Amino acid sequence: MLFLKNKELTKLNVENYTVIIPSICVGNAAQLACDLLIASKQLRRIGSLSHPALIPVHGPSAYQHEPDDRVASCELYEGSEDKLLVVQFRAPFVSRHVSSFQRELVDLLKDARRVVILSGSFGFERRVIESSPYAYRASDRFKLEHATQLNNSAVVQWKEHTGDLIYGGGNGLQLYKAFEQQNVPVMLLFRYLLEGDNSTDASLIVRELNELCDDFLQLRGSGDGGFKLTVPKSWNLLFGNDVTELLF
Amino acid sequence: MSCPMSFGELNIPSSRAFWDDCEEDELDSNQDPEKLDLKFQEGAQETPIPSELFVLIEGPNIEGFGNAVIKEQSSRVICDIPPKKSTSKLAFNASNKQLLAVLEDELSYSGEITELLIPYAQVAKNVFTITLKPKVEYKSEEINKYSDDITIVRGVDANLKGVIELEAPNFIVGVTAGIASWCKQSNHPCSSYIIYTDKLPLDEIAAQPVLKLLQKLGVPCSTSYTPPRKDDSHLYS
Repeated sequence: MLFLKNKELTKLNVENYTVIIPSICVGNAAQLACDLLIASKQLRRIGSLSHPALIPVHGPSAYQHEPDDRVASCELYEGSEDKLLVVQFRAPFVSRHVSSFQRELVDLLKDARRVVILSGSFGFERRVIESSPYAYRASDRFKLEHATQLNNSAVVQWKEHTGDLIYGGGNGLQLYKAFEQQNVPVMLLFRYLLEGDNSTDASLIVRELNELCDDFLQLRGSGDGGFKLTVPKSWNLLFGNDVTELLF
Repeated sequence: MSCPMSFGELNIPSSRAFWDDCEEDELDSNQDPEKLDLKFQEGAQETPIPSELFVLIEGPNIEGFGNAVIKEQSSRVICDIPPKKSTSKLAFNASNKQLLAVLEDELSYSGEITELLIPYAQVAKNVFTITLKPKVEYKSEEINKYSDDITIVRGVDANLKGVIELEAPNFIVGVTAGIASWCKQSNHPCSSYIIYTDKLPLDEIAAQPVLKLLQKLGVPCSTSYTPPRKDDSHLYS
């Protein structure tokens, strides 16, 4: 079920939009990266999705820039100037409904200009230590449209993934295949990482994505080519409460 | 599926994507599952009943407390809510037109159950949700302030005097979250309350704040609750 904030709209229009979707992967790094994108670019919540595959979530807003909103299992954020749509998931999936949910999600977003799925894989699956900690998989249409960036080895040094499975990558590869089948230009970008404090991994994923997609992310604000990321307030107490004084 | 663990063994989940312990390579074989249905009592109305107030209470081992509230209200059970029969149920009090859903914590089915209960929320004038959670799940930068409290009550869009709004990064999950979220998106009146308690299942003392909250919300109920006697101890519950 799609809920749009603007009740006058009956469907989501993603024509000419770049859509970024996190997979629920090792360390939840892709979701954290999307959190950083939404908070840093102050994207506007335009709606949400509900489905039996999504465990319902409700509570106070996750971001400082949208204090009156309420969190949901699957949220949609838009940056209309950059034609950017970011999907955010806040709960794991119920596996028996995932196929039907993915079909609905692909159907909803298939008119997008391009889809980028962010993911992660277990660090110990990276066989060559000197290689880039990133790997990607892209559809033929995506490769054709981004040949300049993907072939620029000075900027992008990612290894192309060709396997049947990304260990720890969650539903990322399945979602990628579902978009590819619909002939949507789609890329899956993932970082090898380990469970733990994955906030740094999230920033690194955003930085790497910015190398490829500088045109729509436009995160470079300062003159030195760097960019500033905003940490959302939902990252407070990421590892639980302080240890109680009663313990000592 | 994950293997049984030995003491001290480190459990790295093979996938974070699925709540129900599915492996990533098992996903393609999953077929669309059977749909759940409400199991109506004989002679009960099967279309959504319009109500003045629709109250949902969800939490672990809530059955005993829920049954006591239903009995006190002289409500009639309309249906059992799947997947477990008789632990989760929907009851209607015809005299004050209040509908009460007692929901056992069952996250894997919460999305589906939400869809089954949305029609009841649609025809309710007002919706209240109450979620019971263990106190250890409450996150606060000033957690030491609450170390002596048996119960912490918080609200989301709550308009009850004295109830503090829930702060990020806390949130609720389950059917109560699903209904509250639907209400928010559909501009339907709804207030959510979260009770973080030291004792689940509720005992005489831990039930007091819940009973007080129900009374404040206009749900007739007793001032005390005695849990049903169990043969086993509560040592590990």
